[in-house]
Amino acid sequence: MAGFFSSPVLVFSSAIALRIILFFYGLWQDANSPMKYTDIDYYVFTDAARFISQGGSPYDRETYRYTPLLAWMLLPTTWSSTWFSFGKVLFAFSDIVAGWLIVLVLKNGKKMSMERALKFASIWLLNPMVATISTRGSSEGLLGVMVVALLWAITQRKIALAGVLLGLGVHFKIYPFIYAPSIVWWLDDEHIESPKPAAKAGRSRSLITLAKNFLNESRMDLTVTSLLMFLLLNTLMYTKYDYPFIQHTYLHHVTRIDHRHNFSPYNTLLYLSSATASTHTIKLESLAFIPQLFLSAFALPLLLAKKDLPSTMLAQTFAFVTFNKVCTSQYFLWYTIFLPFYLSLPSCTLLSSPRKGLLALALWVAAQVLWLQQGFQLEFLGKSTFVPGLWGAGLAFFAVNCWILGIVVSDIGALGRGEGREEGVVEKRGEGKVVVG
Amino acid sequence: MRQRITYLQEPQDAIDPSTLKVTKNSISTKSLIAAREERITFSLEELPLELVKVLEDSHELHIRWVDQEPYEAISPLVSRMSPGLHVFYTPQRNSNTSELLCPMLKQTFSKTLKCESPEKSFTALPVERFSHSAALQYYTPLPNLLQLVLYILQNVCDTGPSSQTVECEARALSLNSASYIDLNYDTISHALTLTTFSSPQPQNISLTNLTPGSSRLEVGILSIEKALEAEELSLGGFLAVIGEDTKPSPTLFSFPSRHHPTSQTFTSSFKLPTGLHPTLQLNISDATPPMDDRSCSLHAHLTLPKQIFADKYQLFDPLFMSSKGLKTVHYITTPVDLEAPEYAVDTWGSSLLIELAPLSTTTAPLSTAEIPLHLRYLRPNSNATGQAKTEIPYPVLFWACTADEGSKFPINPFDRVNLGYDGLFGPRTLFWHLDPEVVESFGGEGGERLASKLSVPVLDLDGSRWVESGTGWVVGLGFAWVLWCLLGVWRGSGFGSGKKKEVELDKKTQ
Repeated sequence: MAGFFSSPVLVFSSAIALRIILFFYGLWQDANSPMKYTDIDYYVFTDAARFISQGGSPYDRETYRYTPLLAWMLLPTTWSSTWFSFGKVLFAFSDIVAGWLIVLVLKNGKKMSMERALKFASIWLLNPMVATISTRGSSEGLLGVMVVALLWAITQRKIALAGVLLGLGVHFKIYPFIYAPSIVWWLDDEHIESPKPAAKAGRSRSLITLAKNFLNESRMDLTVTSLLMFLLLNTLMYTKYDYPFIQHTYLHHVTRIDHRHNFSPYNTLLYLSSATASTHTIKLESLAFIPQLFLSAFALPLLLAKKDLPSTMLAQTFAFVTFNKVCTSQYFLWYTIFLPFYLSLPSCTLLSSPRKGLLALALWVAAQVLWLQQGFQLEFLGKSTFVPGLWGAGLAFFAVNCWILGIVVSDIGALGRGEGREEGVVEKRGEGKVVVG
Repeated sequence: MRQRITYLQEPQDAIDPSTLKVTKNSISTKSLIAAREERITFSLEELPLELVKVLEDSHELHIRWVDQEPYEAISPLVSRMSPGLHVFYTPQRNSNTSELLCPMLKQTFSKTLKCESPEKSFTALPVERFSHSAALQYYTPLPNLLQLVLYILQNVCDTGPSSQTVECEARALSLNSASYIDLNYDTISHALTLTTFSSPQPQNISLTNLTPGSSRLEVGILSIEKALEAEELSLGGFLAVIGEDTKPSPTLFSFPSRHHPTSQTFTSSFKLPTGLHPTLQLNISDATPPMDDRSCSLHAHLTLPKQIFADKYQLFDPLFMSSKGLKTVHYITTPVDLEAPEYAVDTWGSSLLIELAPLSTTTAPLSTAEIPLHLRYLRPNSNATGQAKTEIPYPVLFWACTADEGSKFPINPFDRVNLGYDGLFGPRTLFWHLDPEVVESFGGEGGERLASKLSVPVLDLDGSRWVESGTGWVVGLGFAWVLWCLLGVWRGSGFGSGKKKEVELDKKTQ
């Protein structure tokens, strides 16, 4: 097994082979079974692409809630029935590129050996869930490559490129905006290679000096390029597709009223309050964005970004998904891609203490299984499992996620205390020391 | 006012003309077994002003109501529709839709009708395909016409001449036994026609024309004869214009007919368990095409109230469709929101025209087709263990065959159009109708009705008392736990990278 991970060729051929097998299996199943392997969303994307090819708007396809860029990219799917699968190849290819970028970040950014980097990157590359989702035609792989490329560009100090990718990512799926504060915060003199010790020594408390010090060149560049990119894309799309673009890509997420059961802890509450007049003056669910944004866009970046940017991005994404008002299993991919960075931290207690790691994994899976079982009873057997079943399972899943998030936060924090900085220290460090409180 | 009353009989029940008594202004007979079609044409002056206002805003208005209890159809009146109230409406050209239409419907059919305005509650029909279809559609289940009877008693009978009050009231009350009624108005004819059909039953005839000068009453007693052409129907019997004729005149006539009967029947029910994605199962007694020299295809036209819908994007793959006994979706209302809960949808629902390719079963010639549907979330309820009962009206099943002489259908004095599905076909189409049969419902409740029932899981309010506070507490505690961990990080190494700050922190804590 050691031999396997020491060879990039072996790991990547396996990752590619896995996707090729799933891809062809999917073609076979689609052709021979009334149950389709292809994801429903894939038909949405390709329908939208067809509308564009006929000179229409992608929003002529109902439930197309993405940027027109995606449909443009999939225009080849309209060429012929063979080309119809082009999108799946593109998404699976994005997976592989994302995997390669993970390796690069681990190797260059974290000074890791190739073998170790490949081992951790395999969490993404050889993950059957990731490969299945892409080959079924879900676009999450595309988003994955964007955010990892963003991370790679930042670690390579390619600020302009990072800005472009950030703008693109936010245009694509909104949520990557949470990475802006952590990257900006991280881009201090210590992390960019032009240290200005004078400024530090001065310790001036003048607001202007502080602001001047804060607004260094990299931060300005990133902000300007990302905003420009974001505005450019939106202006372009708006002039071409007008209001439906704004409505379906962005406003839909604010005004959406569908609350078919999903993993979110707010799910049952949203169903309840959408149908009944609340007796309370403040609606709890309308405050849901506060803990979500406070953690993912403020507190986590502020306290963790400078300690380890990639793991902070994991914590942010994890918090964003956990506290979101809607949560489906596709969203898990958003943070899975950052898992290799956190798990490779010397202070990662989920690996250094296998018992804890296995417990976390077991609880994460168990809460989902419980939820899925209740969901099956509702969806296919028609049993009213909304309360207490689905509600409780959703809250249990949320609690498990919070517990894991706490561990991740403490582990990243432990880096700041110099704990586990040396590889050798990991084994010696006790568990209780890390878990605060 | 013009009235045409037709009694339709099976040949074996055909009346002996000597038992018909015709006087100067009346006609009567005893114990006749017949179905009855009554067609009254009103000019606008004869109608209540509020109704005239609505009609003046309409280019076309067609209202159909069908009884939910099964009834026996009789040639030539064999066309079927889903039970309930259907409205097909085209606003006056170059003008907005009527603000008065929904209030009028509420006043005449049911106070609890969920109809806000044509813009909000109606759905669009494909006008560009064939010009003979109305622009907008509305549907609601409606078990009876009590409100309409009341409306006519108060607004037509009470305000008319007192000599006719008794006759008017009797006629209004007879609406209660109708199997279906049609109301038709269009700007060209500038008149409102009310057609009432009651299924075959023994009855006495006693009809009087009280004002022969100003109104016309035509009575026919007809039975079906064998037609010479496959596309035609033939009727024979007696006709009389009361007040003009002193004896009934015998008649025999044929006409090309759009609608034809078959001896085939079907049932419609949901497969159990229904879950949130119920499957409507159609069992067809015998799926043999009615004409062998034409191309005929079997269709189902579904009228789906908003709590249930079909996903057109699911119904396109040939493999999937043929595995369900389906062929192609020919029409589905667009747009249909695929996600919103029932209580957040303004429109009445959707209709679906789907071609069937039924699968044969082990008990041939019985064949079957399954239509996958989806439920919306319904309102939470209490005292029902989280289940809400709902139902959809029976669909209409028919064979559509190509006709030679489509253009001649309108000469049929009993022609019936604007049924929701006829406009989706070309004018040269013959419809051969299958008769709906009631299935024994689970639990036996509800009696004999043409409805497919199902139970929908909803949030049980009896168990939801803790949802709000429970969610609040768990989210709050989860948030607090993460904050606590963050506080630990902050106390340990602040918000810096930790590499240089350690010294500073040490100083601070001392």
